[in-house]
Amino acid sequence: MTTQAYFRPRSLAEALGLLDEHGPAMLVMAGGTLAMPLINKGVSRPEKVMGLRQAGLDYVRPVDGGVHIGAAASLARLRAESDMPLLAEAVKNVAGWAVQNMGTAGGNLFAPPPAGDLAVALLALDAQVKVASLKRGERLVPLAEFYTGFLTNCLAADELVVEIQVPRPAGKAVLLKYGRLYTNTPAIVTVAVHLVAENGRTRDARVALNAVGPHPLRARQAEIALTGFSLDTAAIAAASRAAAAECEPYTDPIASAEYRRRMTGVFVQRALAQVAA
Amino acid sequence: MASKIVTFTLNGRETEVMVKPLTTLAKALREKLGFTATKCGCYEGNCGSCTVILNGEPVLSCILPVEEVEGQNVLTLEGITPTEGLHPLQQAFHENFAVQCGFCSPGMLMISKALLDKNPHPTKAEIAEALSGNLCRCTGYDPIIAAVQQVAAGSNGNQGGSHE
Repeated sequence: MTTQAYFRPRSLAEALGLLDEHGPAMLVMAGGTLAMPLINKGVSRPEKVMGLRQAGLDYVRPVDGGVHIGAAASLARLRAESDMPLLAEAVKNVAGWAVQNMGTAGGNLFAPPPAGDLAVALLALDAQVKVASLKRGERLVPLAEFYTGFLTNCLAADELVVEIQVPRPAGKAVLLKYGRLYTNTPAIVTVAVHLVAENGRTRDARVALNAVGPHPLRARQAEIALTGFSLDTAAIAAASRAAAAECEPYTDPIASAEYRRRMTGVFVQRALAQVAA
Repeated sequence: MASKIVTFTLNGRETEVMVKPLTTLAKALREKLGFTATKCGCYEGNCGSCTVILNGEPVLSCILPVEEVEGQNVLTLEGITPTEGLHPLQQAFHENFAVQCGFCSPGMLMISKALLDKNPHPTKAEIAEALSGNLCRCTGYDPIIAAVQQVAAGSNGNQGGSHE
């Protein structure tokens, strides 16, 4: 079966109306860098497709206390226009230039590991995802609660990701991606950390990982190992061990599960050492 | 659903093409319009062979629905090739043996053109990053990078084109 209709809504309202009308029979696509390969290969044969390029969701908007990123903002635009170095660093490592021009911030949330590294930065920055439906309006979901499993998320059939809201980092943040090549390379592990210190102790810690689980995730045990302690060698070692223990790595042509687990410890340690430096 | 007509500017000329829903730009270029310089290697956004320039930015035409270029400017390798002779990048690729089987060359040339249009004097690292989404399975990348460096240096092969 070939695709019978390609809708290009001109507004968010029109997009939500189409989604309400057609439901799961309609594939939602923004930059197409995930959907089009599957359609080209015949793996995905959607009867109807909705493209979001014209739907008014292509913006990067600085606001009080952070930045709001339209779901259809290209990764290239995010890299150029966001004033948060962690986001630019995440995008720089996502793919090649042309894919950064096409792929979108919202779409990257749907990329299965080892892809989807933008979310590691967004998790470390405690981003929220604004989702909307025609009949129920908008709601905000913490990104850490957006994912429910491999290729699954909390979206209802009539809901659309419309915006990502990123608070300005209150502390120090570092992102490290470990791949086989210098650039444009799938992750063995990607680590982002964000730590707020108070009186020489870590008050708030966020440690985010990708390529070592069914979706980008927070390493909660590592965060607990840091919170309330000074960021010294012992705390860093404890957090690294915790992250390596709690991640759920897998084997693929890039790396084995065992190697990914070990490198998770190594790169969490390096990221925290950079924060401590 | 019925086919529809998409109008866009292709290499400076107003162009119309009739396509079924979700037809890619690469397919429209190659099979409908006869512009076959653009190659399709992987059909999944990994190889960069299908790179064309859309409004000054490189994009992958095999994963871009042609309806998305309605009213916009598309530049393919045909559009930068002069009637007589070669574009400086083509000449430099030739001189540096940056072409072996030639399949990746149209994409390599277009991404290099996009880079030099934005940044006429890129460093080797900037060239490598710009080309990182384009795969070559024959020559290796050094001759290709050397060719881009040669054009950036504005020379005819005597400077800036070292093979390391």
